[in-house]
Amino acid sequence: MADGGIGRRIVIVLVILAVAIAAFFIYVEKWGGRRKPPPTIEKVPGETRSVTFFFAGKEADRLITESREIPVQGGLEEQVRSVVDEFLKGPEKGEAVSAVPPETKLIQAFWVEAKQTAYLDFNQALVSNHPGGSTAEYYTITTILKTIKANFPQVRFVQFLVEGYPVETIAGHYAVDKPIELDRWR
Amino acid sequence: MGYTINTKRLILIIAVLAVALLQASSASPSSSELEAASSLGVVYADGRPPEDVPLYELEKGNEALFISTYDVARMFRATKFWSPGSRKLVLRIDGVRYLFTIDTRVVMVGDEPALMHIPVRYRDGQVMIPLEFISDILSSRLREGIELDWKRLLLTIGSPQYNVNDISFEDDESGSKAVITMTDELLYHVDSDTPGLLRIKIYGGKLNPLKFTINETHGLFNRVRAEQTESDSYLFFDVRRTVRRFKVTMEPVSPESGSLEENRVSSSNASSAVTSSSAEGEGQSESGSKGLRRLVIFLEKGTLPEIPEADFAGRKMVEITEGTGGLRNREIKRVVIDPGHGGIDKCKVSPSGIMEKDVNLAVAFMLADRLHSELGVDVVLTRKTDVLIPLEKRAEMANEAGADLFISIHCNGWFHPEAGGFETFFLAPPRTKDEERLARDENASIKYENPLMKGNDLDEVDFILWDMVQNEYINESSDFAELVQRELSARLEIRNRGVKQAGLKVLKGLKMPAVLVEMAFLSNPEEEKLLMNDNFRENVVEGIVEAIRKFQNRYAASR
Repeated sequence: MADGGIGRRIVIVLVILAVAIAAFFIYVEKWGGRRKPPPTIEKVPGETRSVTFFFAGKEADRLITESREIPVQGGLEEQVRSVVDEFLKGPEKGEAVSAVPPETKLIQAFWVEAKQTAYLDFNQALVSNHPGGSTAEYYTITTILKTIKANFPQVRFVQFLVEGYPVETIAGHYAVDKPIELDRWR
Repeated sequence: MGYTINTKRLILIIAVLAVALLQASSASPSSSELEAASSLGVVYADGRPPEDVPLYELEKGNEALFISTYDVARMFRATKFWSPGSRKLVLRIDGVRYLFTIDTRVVMVGDEPALMHIPVRYRDGQVMIPLEFISDILSSRLREGIELDWKRLLLTIGSPQYNVNDISFEDDESGSKAVITMTDELLYHVDSDTPGLLRIKIYGGKLNPLKFTINETHGLFNRVRAEQTESDSYLFFDVRRTVRRFKVTMEPVSPESGSLEENRVSSSNASSAVTSSSAEGEGQSESGSKGLRRLVIFLEKGTLPEIPEADFAGRKMVEITEGTGGLRNREIKRVVIDPGHGGIDKCKVSPSGIMEKDVNLAVAFMLADRLHSELGVDVVLTRKTDVLIPLEKRAEMANEAGADLFISIHCNGWFHPEAGGFETFFLAPPRTKDEERLARDENASIKYENPLMKGNDLDEVDFILWDMVQNEYINESSDFAELVQRELSARLEIRNRGVKQAGLKVLKGLKMPAVLVEMAFLSNPEEEKLLMNDNFRENVVEGIVEAIRKFQNRYAASR
């Protein structure tokens, strides 16, 4: 009897082991490496919008775009805010890097329709955490402006603010104290 | 004994079961997984890079192409609302609401129904709509025009704003001409270093590379190829090997020689077109040529026979120069060197604590010494100590000194250690010549109307004029920038990032040719070491001195 008990136990353990191994492989097959873009966003109910972000190549020699689905709510100001917030999280793709200094946050965004101008008010990190260099500064400004341009065709000008005030430059090379016309920036 | 057999059997059964399960699981996703049948090339006019969007065939025996609403939403900046319960999806594009219901052919456009030939489908978690939705229903309701080429499966959204528009060829006794029409006055740089090849870089150019890819021979031109980068256009002319001399000129398109439109008029009524434009009078002729320019590449027909391949290497073509060639009759007597940053604006600090402002100043001193001793020119430094001088003040100092050349010395920086190399910048003009003239007129009238205008208003006017001052020297600045970059690339072993045109503030308002040199990246550990190395600094200085020497000779030759 004691012998039979051990045999049964071995069988049960083996069954459990086999099921666990099979389950593991099924899991890997289905949800592991096989998962591919495009993401199955349609499974998420609610109003969403696909937005395009501009980031930079690791060697600072090109722009790289990335698209993401974000929920839509509110008017233009709120939408600009949520797009910039999402942009500040940085890229998801491996080869792209963010060209905005670490810890940069958008404090507020406002839109003056009469001037077709969006005002983007960032925290001090935009300036104080900047690594410097005209290339880094160029990509900081360009990735922000191009992201606005690609998602908000009604915006013609962008005015940068740092904690409520215009600044002369972000890192000493490009004037950002006045509104920048998106079509003319290069 | 009985038990052991049972156990063995059980194990066998379990093993078979596990294998069967595994196979079933690996077979199931591949059967339901969507595979793109082809792809749609999408070109955007708003600066987004072109992309390939997958298209699907969902019905057996039907070649109708479907596109995912995920992609449609991104392409047209749509908002999307999906209600799984009712199997309905709403896309809102340009303020118009499109309601799709799975497995039906009806699209509600606002309150109006529209019918498609095939129904909307739901596959792999995505709502798929037939491609005909874009061409038949969406296109007429969009604010920006779109064009769908079914043959090539190419979709153009908006009208891309090209400023380098067309190319044509002329051939006569003296040689061959390629004529490129542009709608902006753009700067260009010609490179004939490679025998048999003319490479023209057009700063700020936007062209359709397909239109400028020409594989047929036209006179002395063998082939033409084009490249479009984020900021500039490149044209490559493969020319016959008998060509010894060439000339590249930019000329306005005058009403007499016919504008773009008039060129298209057939010969029978060409005369009437000319009369009508000249009848508009002199006042119109200037605005009539609104920014239209022709870039003419002329290849002189040589009398020499075709050179055999063996002797050909190293034989460059020679540019034909006549008279002043647009260059000013001026010597380089005084040079302003501007060590970037300073004082509290330490700007970049490298990972090991080296400050950009200090490197800039050290190299500027070295350059000043060499310029004085080797070329005998006067040198003015915008700062000799570690102080902060405002950017406008630097330009004012240079203008007051009456300098003939301005060189700003900088080190570059990036967020990651990977980026490296040297580059030379000159100023991007803020506007085209025509806009500049308009702005001048506006300024004049503002001043005339408000003689007592003060304070902020006046600043605004000064700002506009200040922005335009460097425009006059932009050709020479780009020339000098190319020389600096070339001399540096002959001496430095780091990446050549090229000449760039940008709206750098320190270069604005300067009444002389002006460039900014980024020697290397302080954020790159290898290059940081170089920037602290005397040998590297010596090479940078030598390159700039040599560039000035060549620039000076170019002036001398033009006199």
